[in-house]
Amino acid sequence: MKKKVVSIVLCAAMCVGMLAGCGKGNEESGKSADSGEKQKVSLTMWGQENDQTMLQDMIDKFVKTYSDYADITVELGVQSDSGARDRILTDQEAAADVFSFPSDRLQDLVSAGALQSVDDMDEVLQQYAGKTVADVKEANVEGSVEAATYDDTLYAFPMTADNGYFLYYNKNVISEDQVKSWSSLLEAAQAAGQKVGMTLSSGWYNASFFYSAGFTTSQNEDGTTNIDWNGTADYSGVEVTQAMLDIASNPGFMALSEGDAANQMASGNLCAAVSGTWDSVAAQEAFGDGFAATKLPTFKIAGNDVQHKAVIGYKLIGVNAHSENAGWAALLADFITNEDQQKTRFEVRNVGPSNKVVLADPMIEEDITASAVVEQSEFAVPQNVGSNFWAPTQTFGEMVAKGELKADDTAGIQSALDTMVAGVEAPVE
Amino acid sequence: MNKFLSGITSLFSRIKRYLGKFGTALAKGDLFVRLSLIWMGAGYCRRKQYVKSIIITLLEAAVVLFSVTIGFQYIPKFGTLGTVRQESIFNPMTMKKEFNDYDNSFMILLYSLVSILIWLIFLIIYVRNIVRQYELQKMEERGEHINSFKEDRKLYLGEKFYVTLLSLPVLGIFLFIVIPLLAMVLIAFTNYDSRHMPPTELFTWVGLENFISLFSSGGLTITFGYAFVRVLAWTLIWAVFATFTNYIGGILLASLINHKRVVGKKFWRTMFVIAIAVPQFVSLLLLKYFFADGGIVNTICSDIGITEFLRNIGLINTSYIPFLTAPGWAHVMLILINIWVGVPYQMLIATGVLMNLPTDQIESARIDGATPRQIFRHITMPYVLFITGPALVTDFVRNINNFNVIYLLTSGVYVTADQALANSQAKEVDLLITWLFTLTRDYYNYKMAAVIGIVVFAISAVCTVIVFRRLTQGDREEAYQ
Repeated sequence: MKKKVVSIVLCAAMCVGMLAGCGKGNEESGKSADSGEKQKVSLTMWGQENDQTMLQDMIDKFVKTYSDYADITVELGVQSDSGARDRILTDQEAAADVFSFPSDRLQDLVSAGALQSVDDMDEVLQQYAGKTVADVKEANVEGSVEAATYDDTLYAFPMTADNGYFLYYNKNVISEDQVKSWSSLLEAAQAAGQKVGMTLSSGWYNASFFYSAGFTTSQNEDGTTNIDWNGTADYSGVEVTQAMLDIASNPGFMALSEGDAANQMASGNLCAAVSGTWDSVAAQEAFGDGFAATKLPTFKIAGNDVQHKAVIGYKLIGVNAHSENAGWAALLADFITNEDQQKTRFEVRNVGPSNKVVLADPMIEEDITASAVVEQSEFAVPQNVGSNFWAPTQTFGEMVAKGELKADDTAGIQSALDTMVAGVEAPVE
Repeated sequence: MNKFLSGITSLFSRIKRYLGKFGTALAKGDLFVRLSLIWMGAGYCRRKQYVKSIIITLLEAAVVLFSVTIGFQYIPKFGTLGTVRQESIFNPMTMKKEFNDYDNSFMILLYSLVSILIWLIFLIIYVRNIVRQYELQKMEERGEHINSFKEDRKLYLGEKFYVTLLSLPVLGIFLFIVIPLLAMVLIAFTNYDSRHMPPTELFTWVGLENFISLFSSGGLTITFGYAFVRVLAWTLIWAVFATFTNYIGGILLASLINHKRVVGKKFWRTMFVIAIAVPQFVSLLLLKYFFADGGIVNTICSDIGITEFLRNIGLINTSYIPFLTAPGWAHVMLILINIWVGVPYQMLIATGVLMNLPTDQIESARIDGATPRQIFRHITMPYVLFITGPALVTDFVRNINNFNVIYLLTSGVYVTADQALANSQAKEVDLLITWLFTLTRDYYNYKMAAVIGIVVFAISAVCTVIVFRRLTQGDREEAYQ
């Protein structure tokens, strides 16, 4: 609400400003490209704070590459990826021409009309960048293109493919064979007097058990979520919950609160943890020369071994639908997500690329974290859910973690699943 | 209620009187008074108040200009809040996007509001101006002295300086509080949400629909009624406890420090002031980590065996003490932590009051043989209550809306295990205001935010009125004598 007030105040201030400046028409219309004269183009772009130097270098290269066609100036601003959606939706016309955002925000941005369709830019890409939209889709891994697509229209350029989780472990405590299944992993941890940590009270983490058993989620156009976890996919929802309870009740298991993995690893309680690239440094420090990472182990549902799939997200670069120089903005977005820049991004910031060529580079394989991401990406599900998904699934995970559900009480589990599904599927007012 | 009614009646009779004056001015005024109907500076010009004439003419011109360029553009669309949706097409030749001449519902709402307010104010100035012109005409007829601009300026820098001083704050309040507030009230009657987000989409008036959907069957979420009752109950319990524990704690602490036998009064006072000199959110975030499930307090408790003891007597069944993560525990901790961050403020206020206690009363009570406890109960407390009563009411209302303490201590830590609450995005420790925040933050549900804002305002207002009437009932002077 505060944001609203601020924007209203700004509008009020603007209205006062208009009183003073009315009548001053904006006569500067764009010159056409074929007039022979070089076009003057100014763009704005948002990037994460710790990416700024790297992005500035990329922008300089971009300006140089296209200097034959136009005089481009790019103003770079600081904006965290996680907060990008909020700031864009607060005032779309004031948002940057080019911005990065996590893929699970795509639908919100598209339905608010904030994203420029990339498909419309086919002609521009062909004329200036010498590629088609199909080439862009071809160059990046399938999942990332899917995550950038809505209603068969590509709305953003894939940039990274590492926003997921996998298993960090201490190879001095746990052997490579033991990380293959949850039961042997927990057994080894128990034997060493340590624990394996995973966050259960978050729909981002606990959904992985359901996705592994073939369950799905999807989002409707009106922002509501479809979820079938109380029914039956490859297994029934009750059986999945029993499998979760089996892991959670093991003395070698520790249910982490969200974002607490680094802390717990540092305090020496854990010999393995389910987390993502953001905890890479913490895990290296905690495990020292035993630092290792791999895909999630298998777990037992109703007596069968099932590979534990992870939720994966992508970082995308979008073009503002209200951008005046939308064509140049699209070229900039394409440029900073192309093969060379993705490679640079991995070298400088250790960010996992979505470009197929870069992924095949041997330097990825040499990197412990990055190769774990690649390994897990085979068993990864992009998560597409509405805002009503989070609170009910978080509480469900908390009930599992706290042992409020009993594995032999199937009726209790079923009713908890039903309540959760009802909450997730509730209409968005 | 009667006061309220008589206030309205007197307001109307004043308006009527003023309009009567306006009529007389028009009927009996000379040519220049009547000319002022069109050219507002005419009358001033005739009475040789040229500077005033120029100023009011400029004002008139500005309002006319505003009306033509902004007012008349937006006001006609105010009824629908716009009908033309945004459409755009990308032109690969110019590399630019071309937009149609679309309506922006939010701009229409805001500019219409501003226009209406400006016109209202202008109307008042306009009517006053005519009345004033007639007064000037009569003054001239009677041969009285009419102030020159220099004399007027002197008047507003001297005798009427308060008008000059107050005009800026009034303008500020108008721009930064009144306009946003009115805009928010208007939004409560529209369907402004994530699916009707300008500039891409239009929103429009829906009447009382939002209020109905808040309170009718189901409400905002599928378990809305269930959650609303529980959140409201905790909000009130919290407000009562948070207010009174702080208040009494502050007075006790102040009287302790004020006691004759306490050495180093200034030192103690400074110590407690330091506690409030640290920004509140810093201390709250620190406390959140101290009392986390794996935090330092839990480590200490398990080292010295308190955790074990609590588990043995059955108070907890976890390997840690869930200070901020289980209902009950979290409720008590929130109130306790609030005492810690809030008592020093109350102590400062109470110290000021206690230092000004009427000593004659205490003296005579002592001579009459009253014990210190009796003095505290019958003299000190009533006096302090009398002085700080209004502050107590504002504290209560502030605690109803105490976003900081609750949000900073529980967000990201507290996870409810009550599925019905979770289905309404609520937690056991949520106040109305923090619930409102989570309900609207992820949705861009501006319309419901506005509606709940109005409801929270109504609850706060009702509480204030009730408590205030209680406190100011009877002859207060007598209460502590």
